[in-house]
Amino acid sequence: MKVDAAFKERPAEMIEVAPEAWRHRTRRDFLAFGAGVLGVLAVRRSWRHDGWLANKALRFDDDVAEALYSPNRLVPTYTKSQITPLKNNYNGATPGPGYIPAWHLTLDGLASGLAVSLDIRNLLTHHQIHDQITRLVCVEGWSAIAWWAGLKFDDLLRAYPPVSQAKWARLESSVNLDSSGNPDPYFVSIDLPTARHPQTLLATHLNGQPLAVEHGAPLRLLAPVKLGLKNIKAITRITYMRDEPKDYWAERGHSRYDGI
Amino acid sequence: VPHSTQLHEEQIAACTPAPTPRVPVVRKHHVLVRISHWLTIPLLLGLIVSGVSIYWASPIYQHNTDPQTGSLDYLADAGIWICAHVPGAHDCSSHPDWTYSHISLGPYMLAPALRLHWCCAYLFMLNGLVYLAGILLGGEWRALLPRLSDARGAVKMVAYYAGTPLAILKRQPRKPPRQSTKYNPLQRLAYFSIPIAGLLSVLTGWAIHKPMQFSRLAAVFGGFESARVWHFWLMWIFVLFVIPHVILVFAEGWDTLRSMITGWSRIVQSGGQANEG
Repeated sequence: MKVDAAFKERPAEMIEVAPEAWRHRTRRDFLAFGAGVLGVLAVRRSWRHDGWLANKALRFDDDVAEALYSPNRLVPTYTKSQITPLKNNYNGATPGPGYIPAWHLTLDGLASGLAVSLDIRNLLTHHQIHDQITRLVCVEGWSAIAWWAGLKFDDLLRAYPPVSQAKWARLESSVNLDSSGNPDPYFVSIDLPTARHPQTLLATHLNGQPLAVEHGAPLRLLAPVKLGLKNIKAITRITYMRDEPKDYWAERGHSRYDGI
Repeated sequence: VPHSTQLHEEQIAACTPAPTPRVPVVRKHHVLVRISHWLTIPLLLGLIVSGVSIYWASPIYQHNTDPQTGSLDYLADAGIWICAHVPGAHDCSSHPDWTYSHISLGPYMLAPALRLHWCCAYLFMLNGLVYLAGILLGGEWRALLPRLSDARGAVKMVAYYAGTPLAILKRQPRKPPRQSTKYNPLQRLAYFSIPIAGLLSVLTGWAIHKPMQFSRLAAVFGGFESARVWHFWLMWIFVLFVIPHVILVFAEGWDTLRSMITGWSRIVQSGGQANEG
């Protein structure tokens, strides 16, 4: 019954105060309340006039995401019966297939000091191709479970090691178009721990077929631990670097790390 | 109770010369409970207006594209309907955007909405801890625990509140059901459930914000897509709570509102127990 008593509501203790003391206290608390309201309004005002607090929140959230990342934590995988339709969410216009025959991937910032140029046949024959059914999550809120195949980004990093100080990869697609169909190169920053994650692929196939143009033929990034906007389509160049490279959507007000 | 000692001193200092009648009061809300209560308003407001803007980017509830309007989103349909049928609806430049322009940061605001949502969400979690500390330090958590008889008591309270407007119109005197506890059963139900809804909002929020690192948490809510639906409807629980909450505070009277600012109530029952809240 002792436990019962611990949970039982206790009667409030009634006390008697002098009217002046009561008035004084009430006035003091109302003034404090008013100051709090003004403080909140001031924060709201400063939010609209400069982005300091907003950017602080964004960076803090990125730091939290980075702290949550673990190279040993794998994302859930699914069966073929769980596959869902995958939207073509090319931000601008989908490029025409004209670039594909001459396509090659340029690697830069390598330990060898040389730039390497690889075609798709080279990538497919020299690396093991892995199948993976994972969920791709878009910053907009939708997601899709898709069956991908490709080489591990980690395998490419082992085959062509980056310079020793490199912490970042800049991935670029020179064939990306804006909504009016004009060239609008797309570029993302990827931290090397994410690039080395065992489920980060340089995907070449979707649903057992070579990638179509709308899904980034012939080579796209598939990093399921990142938001869809980092999963760049039709990669044409990968540059390894020491400092954090620019990122297309970070320049447009989104976060930089985008770990999910 | 740290405040009562302070009051005793003030009362002694102020009261020695003339024996003025004293004011009986009871302590009602710990200072941390009061602070977190009021901070919840701007935080929840920020979360809702940004949350609806995030919802706009990919609505959960969609239908096939309407051939006439081109809309596939029920909230956009609501905007189209309002612009067509509500006479005073201003700013109808873009009919499908009406709802979003009026209850959120607006359409095409995903990046600013996410920034605001993260900022308010972290502060909301912090605020939740402040509230928790407040109800523990003040011992108020005991008054919030539901009791077995509360189901019937809550129905009684609903019946009382529902009948009150008519009683006022008919000028019939009306007394609330007898109560010997800090909160009535309906209040207990609401004040016990709302923090739980807050906790579920935080958990579903993490589940959809970090669905890979927290994939097990997302699985608890039935997976990523389902956690989004939970998160969406939890917002409506707050909206549905706030409306009667505000109406009833004003109906209950000045003491209830004041006690959430000063912490003290002047309504003392015969058993030394504060009344409504």
